[in-house]
Amino acid sequence: MATRAEIAKPVLTLVLLAAALTVLIVLVAGITRQRIVHNEQAWILQRLDALVPPATHDNDLLDDSIAVQSPELLGTAQPVRIYRARRNGMPVAAVIRAIAPDGYRGPIELLVAVAPDSRLIGVQVIRHDETPGLGDAFESRDVHWLDRFRGRSLTDPPTQRWTVRRDGGDFDAFTGATITPRAIIKAVRNALDYYERNSQRIFELPPQ
Amino acid sequence: MSASPKVFGSTAQLIAVCPLLAMSDTVADALGIGAAVLIVVPLATVVLALLRAQLTDETALAATMLTVAALVACVELLMSAWLSELRTALNLFLPLVVSNLIVVHHLQARHGTLGGAFGGSVRIAVGIAITLLPLGIARELVGRGSLLHDAGRLLGPGAGWSEIGVFRVDMGFMLAMLPPGAFIAFGLLLAARNWLTQRRQ
Repeated sequence: MATRAEIAKPVLTLVLLAAALTVLIVLVAGITRQRIVHNEQAWILQRLDALVPPATHDNDLLDDSIAVQSPELLGTAQPVRIYRARRNGMPVAAVIRAIAPDGYRGPIELLVAVAPDSRLIGVQVIRHDETPGLGDAFESRDVHWLDRFRGRSLTDPPTQRWTVRRDGGDFDAFTGATITPRAIIKAVRNALDYYERNSQRIFELPPQ
Repeated sequence: MSASPKVFGSTAQLIAVCPLLAMSDTVADALGIGAAVLIVVPLATVVLALLRAQLTDETALAATMLTVAALVACVELLMSAWLSELRTALNLFLPLVVSNLIVVHHLQARHGTLGGAFGGSVRIAVGIAITLLPLGIARELVGRGSLLHDAGRLLGPGAGWSEIGVFRVDMGFMLAMLPPGAFIAFGLLLAARNWLTQRRQ
C-alpha cells in the first residue's frame, strides 16, 4: 500500500497544474476577448454590407438589431438576429439571420435581406458544412446561384413553386446536389413568410 | 511507466496524425494545423518533463491531458483573435490537435532528460507538419487544380496574389478534397516511404 504522502504529492501536483493552466487560459481569454468580438462583428458586417450597401442607409446595422424567436419559420429554437437598415428613419431593409435546418451535413446559416415591399434584396450563405465540391457550389462553381432570389417574394413564384424544379418548383438546383438547394430555398421562403407576418413589429421593436 | 516497444511508437504517431489529416485539403489549412502542432507538442512536452519527478505513473496521463487540452484551448483563442479566417476554416479540427497527447505521453516515457524530451517532441512535431504539407499540396493540386488557394487566411488578405492556378478544373477531383482522399494520399505517402526504406537496405 502506498503511504498517505505518496498519494498526496502527485495529487497536489495535479491540482496545482490544473490551477496554473486555468490561470493561463483565463489570461489568454482576457487578452483575446476584445479582438475576437471585434473579428466576429467585422465578419458579419462585411456580409451585411455586401447585401445592403452602406450608402443605402444611414444607421448602424449592428447596433440597430433585434433578436426574435420562431422555430418553425426561422429554423432554430435559438433567438435569431434581425438587422434593420433605415434611411432618415424610414425602413430600407431587414436582414434576417435565418437557419436552413435541413442541409445535407447540418444547418446552413443564411442572411436573408428583405425590402419593405416584401421583395428579396438578396441572400447570402454565411456558414455551412456542405460537401466540398458538391453542396457548396453556391460559393465555388455556381457563384450566381443565390442571385436568383433577388426580387422574389412570397407570391413570386406562388408558394407551391417555391422549391427546386425536381419537386415541381421554379428554382434550378445546382449540379450534383438537390438537398442543399432544397434546404436553402425552403429557409428563404420561410424567412419571407416570417417577415410578411411580422413586418410592422420588426421595425418597431427597440434595439436589443 | 514501462518502456514502450518501438512498434507502439509508430502506431501512436499514426493515430495522432489521423484527425489532422482531415485538415490537409489545401496547403493553407495544412500549414495552419501544422503550426498548431508545432506550438502545442513541444510546449506540452517541456511542461511535463519539468513536472516528471512530481508525477506517478497514474497521474502522468491525467497531467498530460490537462496540459495538452489547456494549450490547445490557448492556441484556439489566439488564432480566433489574430487568424480568425484560418480559425474558421480549421473549424472543429483544431481541438483535435489534442489527440497529439498520445505522442506527448509517449515521449515522456521514452526520454529521461528535459533536453531529450524537447528534442524528440520537436522532431515529431516537425515530422507531422512535414507530413501534412505534401498531403495538402497533393490534395489541393488534384482536387482543385490550384496551390495556395486560400493563403489569404494564413498570410493576410494581401496574399491573394499567391494563388497558383496550375490547371483549371470545373468540378475538381472531389475524392481528393473529401476526407477519404486524405487517407488515400496518406497511404500512398506511407507506401512511398516504405519503398524507399526497403530499397536502401
